[in-house]
Amino acid sequence: MSAEKKRDFQIVNHSVPRRDGPAKVTGKAVYVSDVKLPAMAYAKVLRSPYAHAKIVSIDSAKAAARPGVYAVLTSNDLTGLNLYYGHAVKDHPLIAVDKVRYAGEPVAAVVAQDERTAFEALEFIDVKYDELKAVLTPKEALDKGAALLHERTFEAGALRGFEGEVAAGRGSNICQESHLKWGDVEAAFARAAAVVEGEYYFPMAYAYAMEPYVAIAEVSDNGVTIYSSAQHPFMVRHDLTTVFKLPVSQIRLIVPFVGGGYGSKSYTKIEPLVAACAWKAQRPVKLQLSVEEAMLTTRSDDALTWMRTAVDAHGKIIARQARIYMNTGAYAENSPLVCEKATNRTVGPYSIPNVQIDTYSVYTNTVPASSYRGFGCAQVTMAGESQIDELATKIGKDPYEFRLANVAKPGEEFFPKMRPFDGTLKQDLEIAAKALDWQQTPPKGHGKSIGCSTSDAGAYPLTSTVIRVHADSSVSILTGSTELGQGSHTVIPQIVAEELGVPFEKVRVVASDTAITPYDRSTGASRTTTLMGRAVLEASREAIEQMVRMAAELLKIKTDAIEVVRGGVRCGEARLTWSEIISRYYGLPDGEVIGRAYIRKAGDFSKPPVFWETACTGVEISVDEETGLIRVEKLATVGDVGLAINPALAEGQDIGAATMGMGVGLFEELVYEGPQLVNGSILDYRVPRFSDMPRQVEMHLVENQDGVGPYGAKGGGEASLNSMPSNIANALYNATGVRIRRVPLTPEKVWRALKERQ
Amino acid sequence: MMPLRRFRIHQAREIKEAAEMLAQFGDKGRLYAGGTELLLAMKHDLLRYEHLVDVKTIPGLDKIELKNSTLHIGSTATHRSIENSPLIREHFPVIAEMERHVANVRVRATGTLGGNLCFAEPHSDPATLLLALRAKARVQGSKGERTLEMDELVAGAYETSLAADEILTAVAIPLSAKPRRAAYLKFQIHERPTLGLALVLELDDGQNIKAARAVVGSVSPKPCRSDKAEALLAGPRDKVEKQLPHAAKALAEAADPVDDLEGSAEYKRHLIGVFLRRAFDRALQRPTAHG
Ligand SMILES: Cc1cc2nc3c(=O)[nH]c(=O)nc-3n(C[C@H](O)[C@H](O)[C@H](O)COP(=O)(O)OP(=O)(O)OC[C@H]3O[C@@H](n4cnc5c(N)ncnc54)[C@H](O)[C@@H]3O)c2cc1C
Repeated sequence: MSAEKKRDFQIVNHSVPRRDGPAKVTGKAVYVSDVKLPAMAYAKVLRSPYAHAKIVSIDSAKAAARPGVYAVLTSNDLTGLNLYYGHAVKDHPLIAVDKVRYAGEPVAAVVAQDERTAFEALEFIDVKYDELKAVLTPKEALDKGAALLHERTFEAGALRGFEGEVAAGRGSNICQESHLKWGDVEAAFARAAAVVEGEYYFPMAYAYAMEPYVAIAEVSDNGVTIYSSAQHPFMVRHDLTTVFKLPVSQIRLIVPFVGGGYGSKSYTKIEPLVAACAWKAQRPVKLQLSVEEAMLTTRSDDALTWMRTAVDAHGKIIARQARIYMNTGAYAENSPLVCEKATNRTVGPYSIPNVQIDTYSVYTNTVPASSYRGFGCAQVTMAGESQIDELATKIGKDPYEFRLANVAKPGEEFFPKMRPFDGTLKQDLEIAAKALDWQQTPPKGHGKSIGCSTSDAGAYPLTSTVIRVHADSSVSILTGSTELGQGSHTVIPQIVAEELGVPFEKVRVVASDTAITPYDRSTGASRTTTLMGRAVLEASREAIEQMVRMAAELLKIKTDAIEVVRGGVRCGEARLTWSEIISRYYGLPDGEVIGRAYIRKAGDFSKPPVFWETACTGVEISVDEETGLIRVEKLATVGDVGLAINPALAEGQDIGAATMGMGVGLFEELVYEGPQLVNGSILDYRVPRFSDMPRQVEMHLVENQDGVGPYGAKGGGEASLNSMPSNIANALYNATGVRIRRVPLTPEKVWRALKERQ
Repeated sequence: MMPLRRFRIHQAREIKEAAEMLAQFGDKGRLYAGGTELLLAMKHDLLRYEHLVDVKTIPGLDKIELKNSTLHIGSTATHRSIENSPLIREHFPVIAEMERHVANVRVRATGTLGGNLCFAEPHSDPATLLLALRAKARVQGSKGERTLEMDELVAGAYETSLAADEILTAVAIPLSAKPRRAAYLKFQIHERPTLGLALVLELDDGQNIKAARAVVGSVSPKPCRSDKAEALLAGPRDKVEKQLPHAAKALAEAADPVDDLEGSAEYKRHLIGVFLRRAFDRALQRPTAHG
């Protein structure tokens, strides 16, 4: 993208207030839970108490006979539907078929006149199970003779988003594996001046969107219409075309505001189930999960990482090797892609000549894992950035200086076959160090750490859009990007208003209705500002080109005599606004001009990744050595975003992601006792609170306009999470000399480690 | 959390009426105050009742007053009203401070002291502090009134010694004739405390601790004290200070902490030592009051 100079911007690069703010804080914003269709019924789900069991029989007659109950759905009576879905691997039945694979799996659903009636009928469904041995960890699942979760092979999902095969269903519990190799790792370790080696653990976490999963489905002669809290409506649409064997045009997904996602709303969740309910009950059906049920629907992959890293005598990192076991739970969901991304992201933002990473994503009888903010990067950065500090300590170097000496340089091809590095990590690190007063020794009981990460972000570049310039110069944008609270519906019109030179207030966003808005693969992987931003920019320019041709015709001159100015065109003394061009062209003060853009894996986007999502975070923590309690006292974030279309929103993403990473660093973890999740409720699962926030926060954005997005922008939103857990572990080491390689660093864990030190 | 099953609410106008309703409904009925515990448990389908007897409608049951050198807190007084009561702030600042850190402001505004004590959730802050302050529970049933010690009221985890038709009407806390220092500290990571520790010291004029009461809560099914620990906590200040680790050990032995999601028994034993010392320092820093 040719970079315009920053100071020329009128609307972008300004923190215009969030469009959705007033509606949300006054309770007027419409979410799926607010939507009510005429004659709508309500579903509730019966879930398996067992982690692994054969379903011997289901008797739903009693429940079906209760007053107010319209239908009971089990896998027995879904002839005509394709029950298995999955964009990566089609291993996921919309309701348990023949067996259950985790405690909490949907076994039956009741559709009734209201939620209470549906819920009260659940206990009248009689399910007989034959319990099977459950496997709960990757280690157990890979043991010889371990019970198999999936006995058969599956069709690979058409939209898996990466090249290569899926391993699922080939006679073991391996769901997917991913291998990365360059250089000669063995030789490098043999000649290394120093090596560190260790095993690291990142826990199962729940992404904790405030809005749990919710969907409404209606099945008619026109096809299937679904209102959903889905982040990626077009991906869900694809899964539903296979479930119902219908053409794309007959599946319609409508997504109003989504109450947060953080990865958890990615891909298909309850939509096939609610659509099957509507199909069976022959009326619109709403299914609203509770938080506790949402916690039984998706979580992050936990990861056990063995890693070693080597330096030469000059302090240059020469090799990294890792073997990673990710626990993907009962179904693949998006974990095959998380597996591949985790593999790539284990390299870190460093230029390392010898690399070998082997990652296995393993089925277990636990809640299915899927996308989680950071997409595998958080899991492996815990290991990678801990190890960078360990290695620096081992060779007597300051960890910050050690990073400066090893990070990828702008334009460097640090990752073979991928886009050269498009960030400025040295500059980012320097900013973080300054924010933390790095050279200043902290008070006793305090410790500091700086960490960084880069991710091959942007997912698959497939995005399209339409912008409609109306006869009064106001504009409607049709975008498939979902507003999840990240601010895309503010950023997108900022770009269009900037391009067309019209007031921001006159640009409206029409979003996320697959029957109306053009295709956008996903709202994830920090891609919207970069890809949808670039699409609306190109569509605006395409509309301008059309209006220039119209103006030329109206003025009876050649197009190259016309100069585009803010809000219209000029030719000598003659000036025409967009409104005048459109009105005069059509001969009425009405009509419109339609600008389009298609982004695909070509041109600027031919080389993956779309961009390297890069950030630094820094913390200063205090440790109460008597209790083991850690407090983050100071936080610095540095987002390497190319150009912040809306700086306040970009900073909001950074502090949000860093806080989420702090949660996993300090206390977030889903706990299993045997096959049961024991803290799967809002009372027991601890997320960060305002009282946990550091007293001092500094947020910085680095804007070198070095991305492929509009005006050199790159995405943000995930990156500041990744280096937070390791930062807390590294800061603890710097404060106390104690090294913990498993997050979260709960007080008791810290206390135990301190006790062992003595 | 699920939709609530159907039930009926009955609003009592006096204690006697509520007691009669409870007697009538038996197992199918339950007393209902703020509902912050009860309704949550019902939404999680852990408890089922067809009838709820609301006591919030009984006039005067939420009164906070000082009578005959005793502070009376009515059972439907909310945490928030106790926290903000000028009477309590003056005479028992330690209670006001403890209440300020119970749950969150939404629960404090709705949840009552009676509901907290009668649910007998093992991680109760008030139950721990009130035992240390020698509070008494006033109880009324269809057969009449009686008074219980705090450790009689709370029988175990989620268990009280109340009969099905009995209602906790008030908690009575005696003012002390002698100068007294008190502290309540808690350690909390999750929604409920890992540990609560209450310490009340009666002082002679000088540096002498005449008597002590130490209670540890949340670490085991019910708040716990120990005669042995309290004996070690009485005497000249320097001596007591040296005996703190022994007192903590005695208290930990009596409490017999359990392993759970809040932490291991071993960790909780350790925390008792840390917080007994911190409470001791805090108590002696504070100006003299009843607690
Ligand atoms: C999110 C959350 C966090 C919390 N954190 C803390 C904390 O940090 N520390 C702490 O100590 N507590 C905590 N609590 C507990 C809180 O204090 C109680 O929920 C509240 O005080 C209960 O009062 P209520 O009026 O809502 O009781 P209800 O829910 O109405 O009743 C609870 C039980 O007590 C019975 N009951 C109520 N009143 C009487 C009476 N007068 N006589 C006989 N039986 C009666 C009811 O029948 C019921 O079984 C927390 C609660 C929640 C929900």
